[in-house]
Amino acid sequence: MANQGEEEYAKFLEKVRRTVYVDELTPHASEAVVKSAFDQFGTVTDLRFLPNYFGPKELPVSVLVEMENEDMAKAVIGTLTQFPFMVAGMPRPVRAAAATPEMFHDRPKKPGSKIQCRWIDPSDPEFDKAKKMKRLVQKHSAETSFMLKKQLEEAEKLDKQQSETATTHYKKFELIDKLYHDGAAKNLASHYNMKSFSFH
Amino acid sequence: MEKSAEVDGFGFKWGKKRGNGVENKDVQFYESFTYDGSEYSLYDCVLLGVASKPDSPEFFVGKIIKMWEHTDQRQNPRNVELLWFFKPSELSRYLQRVQDVLPNELFLASGSGVGLTNANQLEAICGKCNVQCISKDKRNPQPSSEEIKLADFVFHRTFDVQNSKILEKIDDKIAGVDVKFIFNRTSCEKKASAVQKVATGVHGTAHSLKPNRPSTSGSVRQNERNARDLYGHRKSDYGHKKEEDNDFHKQLARKKSAVAEERSNKDPGRRDGELDNRNASGSRRNDCNGKKDQDNEVENQLRKQKSRLAEEGCSRDSYCLEDLPRKKRKLDGSVAVSKHTEEKRLSDANYRRDYGVFDVTQKPHVTWEEDLGSAEGRGTLVLLQNLDPTCTSSEVENIVYSALNEQCTARMIERTSITIPHLGEALVIFKTADAAKRVIKRLDEGCLLLSNGRTLVATSAKVNPPEMPRFRFPGHIKPRIQIRREMRNAVATSHCAQRNTIEFDMGMEWRLHRDRFELACKRIFEVSIDHCFI
Repeated sequence: MANQGEEEYAKFLEKVRRTVYVDELTPHASEAVVKSAFDQFGTVTDLRFLPNYFGPKELPVSVLVEMENEDMAKAVIGTLTQFPFMVAGMPRPVRAAAATPEMFHDRPKKPGSKIQCRWIDPSDPEFDKAKKMKRLVQKHSAETSFMLKKQLEEAEKLDKQQSETATTHYKKFELIDKLYHDGAAKNLASHYNMKSFSFH
Repeated sequence: MEKSAEVDGFGFKWGKKRGNGVENKDVQFYESFTYDGSEYSLYDCVLLGVASKPDSPEFFVGKIIKMWEHTDQRQNPRNVELLWFFKPSELSRYLQRVQDVLPNELFLASGSGVGLTNANQLEAICGKCNVQCISKDKRNPQPSSEEIKLADFVFHRTFDVQNSKILEKIDDKIAGVDVKFIFNRTSCEKKASAVQKVATGVHGTAHSLKPNRPSTSGSVRQNERNARDLYGHRKSDYGHKKEEDNDFHKQLARKKSAVAEERSNKDPGRRDGELDNRNASGSRRNDCNGKKDQDNEVENQLRKQKSRLAEEGCSRDSYCLEDLPRKKRKLDGSVAVSKHTEEKRLSDANYRRDYGVFDVTQKPHVTWEEDLGSAEGRGTLVLLQNLDPTCTSSEVENIVYSALNEQCTARMIERTSITIPHLGEALVIFKTADAAKRVIKRLDEGCLLLSNGRTLVATSAKVNPPEMPRFRFPGHIKPRIQIRREMRNAVATSHCAQRNTIEFDMGMEWRLHRDRFELACKRIFEVSIDHCFI
């Protein structure tokens, strides 16, 4: 029985090593899109979108991508750290990291692990400490959700700024395009006795 | 091989043959079999455990409509086909407008499609159960009020698995089974067909409600074991205990409820011992050795429960509570073995018939997501925080069971880049809103300390509905109409940005943004951890 547990856990760890944790993904990305994206690095054997139960809805999605072997997983992480990799939209890239056992909600029990618990008596000096700890937990969750909110605001800001930059770029290109189209560039070139050059 | 030995351990025997399979000569059908001490025949109702949740008391109810054995050499050759009954909890979405659901009512699967029937391994069966049809249909031999009282479950409506509808009428044929086998059997049929049918009537719920609920002797055996444990526990009291042991043997002959009452009336020391014993066996099952001696509250709770039970004179129930999961585990053991052979089996295309063997888990059980939705509506959803992040879902269920005495379904929340790394969180669904409230209150007023100095925090939870957001994802710029055509290809395929593009620069800005956030998170978490361990 013990051996079976260990075997199962070893198998699970092997799966974890083959898996890449990808986040900053748009919620609009479908399973097919993500699969084809990572099939470029090898064979994707399983995909799991991690649910976002409590965070704001605007949060990027995270997904666990299970590859066929460990090397493929390493290739994904390597490439994605070197280059911005864009899935189902740009220019915001996705991020990749190695998966950890805690990212699987159905992870098997670690062999040999044992849980103990006890109720603390209110007269115990530990009791106040434990109470304080409970408050801390709530405080920390509140802090984190505040952080997330801030981060989303920042993201909005950056997004807006980039949209503007992009629009300006488009405008510039449109302008140049137009100059070529209506012959203004050519006329100018001949007027200043320059060689006409082709932009395209 | 291990498998067959295990099965033989349960005293397996086939009954009357029914003729070979038409399309497959290697299949032998039967009309009855004996397994683990009880005889099962066609159209009997049985209980099955949930393979995916070893320790949960969840079970499924099905009616055997076929039983067969593969005569070629293969593992797990014995199978049964079951027509399912649904519990109201599985159909909660469709029962919202149905008012008159009885507490022990089931819904027979009907129509056609997924979820009507499944082929299961015979060894997955963990007990018989008595299901009476209380339909007023004139084709149905009406059960007497006594029979209804003795029944574990009753049904009179069906659930159409195809259209997901509750139907009042029962069709002439369900899953190819004539309706007369679905209704109650007529009294002469009863007499002729089954000794065990009568037995069910006599023993009533004792035999059938819980999977292999201990019969009188079983429970006495357990008492005996308790007594022995106790006996080992207190060597100093050797002589005294011996006397009591003898005394105990005399009691074996008596009814077990009497045993419980008498024993609980014995000296308080003995009673404490018994409590300790209960604790010990409870924690053994849950792989969780609580420091029970310090655990006044739980002990009080147990004592209260115990004395209440003794008062009612139905200690039987308290034992069955303990026995239930243990029995389950036996079932799960066998199913786990079958999982091991799964790959091998699937690779062998010849065994196509066997493909559905693992369907114990594949019954159209409402998924976690659906469960979650309904639990939130009923107020049975609770968020547990400050667990060990490495805890598993079943361990959470065990903690809740052993420390709070409540049954639940738990699911650890996956760690992502935005969750707090040192806080394990789990969503837990309780059976009733009262149980959920009780747990929240108890964890709020008292402090449950987990093994590594964590105090469990419970709050009632509200989760995001699983729907596609309609907004535009910040950071994904939609190209304007004129250029969309040339951009489309770029969007459809995922790619790495080249260094000489604007896209690359923008991507880098996003990375910077992300790194900044991660750094901030890291700082916050460092500070939090410092706080926690001061």
